[in-house]
Amino acid sequence: MAEWNAYYKNEDDEEDQEEGEQSGGDYKITGRDSLVFLVDASKEMFIKGEDGEPSNFDMTMQVVRSVYTSKIISSHRDLVALVFYGTEQSKNPRNSFKHVYVYHDLDEPGAKRVQDADALRGAKGAQLAAKTMGSGETSLGDALWCCANLYSDIKLRLSQKRLMIFTCRDEPHGGDSVKDRQARTKANDLKETGVTIDLMHLMKPGGFNVASFFRDIVSPPEDESELGLQLEPCAKLEDLQKRVRAKEQKKRAMARLNLCLGEGINVAVGIYATAVSARKQAPVRLYRETNEPVRSKTRTFHTQTGSLLLPSEIKKAQVYSKKQIVMEKDEVDAIKKFDDPGLVLIGFKPMEKLKRHHHIRPAVFLYPEEDEVKGSACLFSALLTKCSERNVFALCRCIARRNYPPRFVALVPQQEEVDEGKAQITPPGFNVIYLPFADDIRTLDPPQCPVASQIQVDKMKEIVSKLRFKYRSDAFENPVIQQHYRNLEALALDMMAPEDMEDLIMPKVDQIDGRLGPLVEEFKDLVYPFNYNPDSKPAAKRKTAGTGGGAEKKPKVEMPEDELRAHMQNGTLGKLTVPVLKEACKQFGVRTTGTKKQELIDALTERLGS
Amino acid sequence: MAGAKSALVLCMDVGFSMSNSAPGEEPPFEFAKKVIQKFVQRQVFAETKDELALVLFGTDSTKNSLDKDDQYQNITVHRHLMVPDFELLEEIQNQIHPESQQADWLDALVVCMDLLKTETKEKKCDRLNIVLLTDLNTEANSEQLDVIIENLKQAGINLQFFLPFPAGDDEEGGGDADGRDPGQPGTGKGLSKEQKSGLDMVKHIMLSLDEEDGLGEIYSFRKAIEQLCMFKRIERKPMAWPCQLTIGSCLPIRIVGYKAVTEEKLKKTWTTVDAQTNQKDDVKRETVYCLDDDNETEVQKDDTIQGFRYGSDIVPFSKVDQDQMKYKHDGKCFAVLGFSKQSMLQRHQFMGTQVIKIFSAKDDEHAGVALSALIRALDELNMVAIVRYAYDRRSNPQVGAAFPCIKQDYECLMYVQLPFMEDLRQFTFPSLANNKKFTPSDTQLSAVDSLIDSMMLVEGDDQKDMFKVHHIPNPAFQRHFQCLHHRAVNPGTPLPPMEPWLKAALECPDVISERCQAPLEEIKRKFPLTEVEKKKKLKTSAQIFGKDSEEPDAKKAKGDEEEEEYSLADIAEGSVTSVGSVDPARDFRTLIRKKSLPFGEVCQQLTRRIEQLLSNKNTHYYMKSITCIQAFREQSVKLGDANLYNGYLQSLKRSIPNRGLEVFWDLLVQDAITLISKDEVEGSTVSKNEANQFLVTEEKKEEAAAPQAEDTGDVDDLLDMM
Repeated sequence: MAEWNAYYKNEDDEEDQEEGEQSGGDYKITGRDSLVFLVDASKEMFIKGEDGEPSNFDMTMQVVRSVYTSKIISSHRDLVALVFYGTEQSKNPRNSFKHVYVYHDLDEPGAKRVQDADALRGAKGAQLAAKTMGSGETSLGDALWCCANLYSDIKLRLSQKRLMIFTCRDEPHGGDSVKDRQARTKANDLKETGVTIDLMHLMKPGGFNVASFFRDIVSPPEDESELGLQLEPCAKLEDLQKRVRAKEQKKRAMARLNLCLGEGINVAVGIYATAVSARKQAPVRLYRETNEPVRSKTRTFHTQTGSLLLPSEIKKAQVYSKKQIVMEKDEVDAIKKFDDPGLVLIGFKPMEKLKRHHHIRPAVFLYPEEDEVKGSACLFSALLTKCSERNVFALCRCIARRNYPPRFVALVPQQEEVDEGKAQITPPGFNVIYLPFADDIRTLDPPQCPVASQIQVDKMKEIVSKLRFKYRSDAFENPVIQQHYRNLEALALDMMAPEDMEDLIMPKVDQIDGRLGPLVEEFKDLVYPFNYNPDSKPAAKRKTAGTGGGAEKKPKVEMPEDELRAHMQNGTLGKLTVPVLKEACKQFGVRTTGTKKQELIDALTERLGS
Repeated sequence: MAGAKSALVLCMDVGFSMSNSAPGEEPPFEFAKKVIQKFVQRQVFAETKDELALVLFGTDSTKNSLDKDDQYQNITVHRHLMVPDFELLEEIQNQIHPESQQADWLDALVVCMDLLKTETKEKKCDRLNIVLLTDLNTEANSEQLDVIIENLKQAGINLQFFLPFPAGDDEEGGGDADGRDPGQPGTGKGLSKEQKSGLDMVKHIMLSLDEEDGLGEIYSFRKAIEQLCMFKRIERKPMAWPCQLTIGSCLPIRIVGYKAVTEEKLKKTWTTVDAQTNQKDDVKRETVYCLDDDNETEVQKDDTIQGFRYGSDIVPFSKVDQDQMKYKHDGKCFAVLGFSKQSMLQRHQFMGTQVIKIFSAKDDEHAGVALSALIRALDELNMVAIVRYAYDRRSNPQVGAAFPCIKQDYECLMYVQLPFMEDLRQFTFPSLANNKKFTPSDTQLSAVDSLIDSMMLVEGDDQKDMFKVHHIPNPAFQRHFQCLHHRAVNPGTPLPPMEPWLKAALECPDVISERCQAPLEEIKRKFPLTEVEKKKKLKTSAQIFGKDSEEPDAKKAKGDEEEEEYSLADIAEGSVTSVGSVDPARDFRTLIRKKSLPFGEVCQQLTRRIEQLLSNKNTHYYMKSITCIQAFREQSVKLGDANLYNGYLQSLKRSIPNRGLEVFWDLLVQDAITLISKDEVEGSTVSKNEANQFLVTEEKKEEAAAPQAEDTGDVDDLLDMM
């Protein structure tokens, strides 16, 4: 009988907790996300832009490809489909729809699909598209119906269903009211089954008129600001990519908590992870013979009897100065519990009290949950407005999950920002900055260092100005992850070698050297003595180590007066060593009590300057 | 200094005057004992190499190396210099009692000095301390005072006094200064003649040792206990990371980095031990691999290889290949990629878990000047260096920002990691400002305004901060050590409640919480908040499993069909002899129908399968388990035997938290699979109400379930196993 309640446990709890806190959110039972790209394949889509700009079709394929690869990296369980409408040829499950071409069925993206999407890019891609699909009549209604079938054929639970229409034609049926009506009906059917329809409208001569037809097709935006429809059509690849990415990534709250302002004033908020360290995925273990995945089970058993141990048969222990202290498993958990999960307001502080170096982990984002507590959004919005107006942050005590010890956090207000195209750049809400406790701050013993003179600083300023650039947070790819996926891609697609990768966080040394030119030598002349070698150990140290006493070998420290004056004028006295400076003081009869370099320099400057 | 070791002698007066006290007050002896207990406790848990000795004076007996011809009587060296341990703690708790003699505290001091001198000869101790706890009620012979002071100076011994009363009007500082609390032991009654002269002597000694701060080393017991109740903060020796900051190929600056801020973890983790023997070695954890088939065929670890998912594909990719193909770099690096405006970086996009401070290399003043030039240039231009940072060859390189940081007594660069493109999630959220429903009115805004006014944590012109988080010790560690200490010293008793000071340290300061009452009331009035009644979350297991709500009617019909199918299958499936893993619920029903095995036996087989399924922690398997439990229930009701089912469900429930099966339990709750009540089966000991309660709240359920567990004989075995 012991077998049936055999006790398996997979991870160490400690690590588990850690992971839970770091990872993006709870994916446990919500199901898969799905996304259908419904792409217009009419002739208009293939028209190249001026100056060799890529065609709308080409741009769309690039976006599709990048979504495929990013899904593979970030959420490979999501389902993606690629469907063309307005084609000459037809290909769909029961071939019941004319002019609809299902290129990729709704499924997890894999290596093959990336290749397929690749093949449709560029001039060759256009040829391939013309050959396999061609351009023909358009019936958006049929296309939408076909997509509806794709969804209903899926046997998995889908948490999010999204459909994106890529087109540059605002009147796809050329005024055919029957077809228009049909499309509207089908769009409504889809929306009723929980599908969100987005329009990714592309540039067309004369401008894209959303209102004429597509207004009734797309899903209403989340808020009532009609933000969605005011968008300008996308003309640039980056814009399209950004817009698709913003829609494609599903927001998942890591936790839903109450923000308690005081007794009985609870604002419901969701916590979102907006920046999470992407890591290489964990490997899967495969059975050598068949390459099928195996499952791992960790069990705890008694060394002597070999019987499996139940949770009640084990305890937890720590040893301090040879004494073992034993606790029950649930006592270990109970120690960590201070309170129920939630955020509790302690007070407000001006922004300058938030120290930049008080950083212990990436921030998370707070947004109200009107569905949980009605009125939350209004109070949240008022708090946000006032905090940012007065430039203060809210200090809160935060317990993110059950049995987590408390942390203090700063809620920093962030107002909404939109770009010229009315697309959101930063969402409205509070950024949650985790603050360190006393234990988290280490006591350092900062070394005493000389301070650079203004001339040296100014030279460095020239260097800094030469190497200025505009930092963008999404400018750097992680070379480790990129390489990993390129390797996998190569293996999966039987490529000879992985695609080359540019390491974006490698300094472009040649360019830097070129831009700086003689500045480097000029700066070095100002701060480093002649034949200073940064790779060697400092001379002083070696000397004592080498000669032991070394008193008799005092270096020649005298320096001619004019040289000294030159140093002073250039503000480079700091380059001289302390013995030289001391000697100089003697030479000029400067009396100093101090032995610190700066004191010597000050004394000398005063004397020689006067 | 970290790394070096100190030696300390605790010298405690246990003479008879120490146990005198006014009625209702604790005698000084108890206070002094608490002080040394707390102190030793901290030392034990900090696990430092610092050594500690304990000398008692006023003892009935005499035991010390200077004991000769009536000199140095009634002074006992209780423990010689060694690392403190629990034994010492227990001794303090159990063996140190007030005794009936008195001894000269100066003599005791001399014994301590002698002890330090002789016992640190062989050891490298860079700090010597003596802590004297006494009420100064014995007349001390001051003849040798100057010699003693001279010796203390020569040996470099630091001296601290702990007295039952404050040493003066303002020397105490902090809490004692403002409130001359009449309840303070000793102060109210005035000091005895001996105490007064003793105090003068103490002051004399301390001022001779340190003209400026000498009196700061005299503490009252009460103050000491307040300070010692905190466990020592975790300290780590800063590790230097020497490297070169490079700008292009020919401008290197020698630097050294130190972790300055990082989330500290407890040094020790819990080990698993056998509950009976408390032996770690009796418990072994083992990971086995098995194929995902019905028999869960085990395979050896050597027979497995590593693979990675590439979307829907799994790519076999051995460790060797992976190492060969992975991204490689040149190791240790702090290279400038360029410079950017500080305003381009956003605080909330800081990544990683640490801040590193970068100084110039030790003993290289040229590097110091060069780095200083960079720091000041960045500071004056309001810019940062964007750098590539790699700790060493094995670790992944990062991109990060080096901010200039100029403090009064030092300057440095501060490095923080920045995000990679892959790390960012560009979420869009509905606008709050553009939504009329959520736009607060002017009166609402002013209510929030006055709330902020009342809850400002900085005060006065100097912007004094009332709530400095970085001065609070991590409460998790404090609680952890409090419980460990309690368990170590009082084994077998339940864990203590949280210390009141710790609770208070995490709360809003009293001034604020009083001040904000009215504005909070205003907020309450102006902002109606109503919790949304949750319609029973529409998450039945069937939905989770995928059959969406699309065509509810058709689904029902389908369900009926299955019922039919099952009976057909039943006929075909003549050879069922045990509950298999493919369709356990069906097998179970078949076996019960055929009556080939006793009901209890079949139930056991089924529960075994359920447990097997649950060990997979996967929604599919949960779903399957639920159909099994449904079948179990349905057949139990049919046969009018509720005990096995109820017993199993109760024990299952109890094991939920331990096995992390909350998700499964939620499913069970949503499907409303509860106990079988009296109304359904006569033999059941569960009332309808109890059955309904079973699924409601965690605590309540447990109470309801407990009593009946005793009546049902069969169930006991099951429960014992849990």
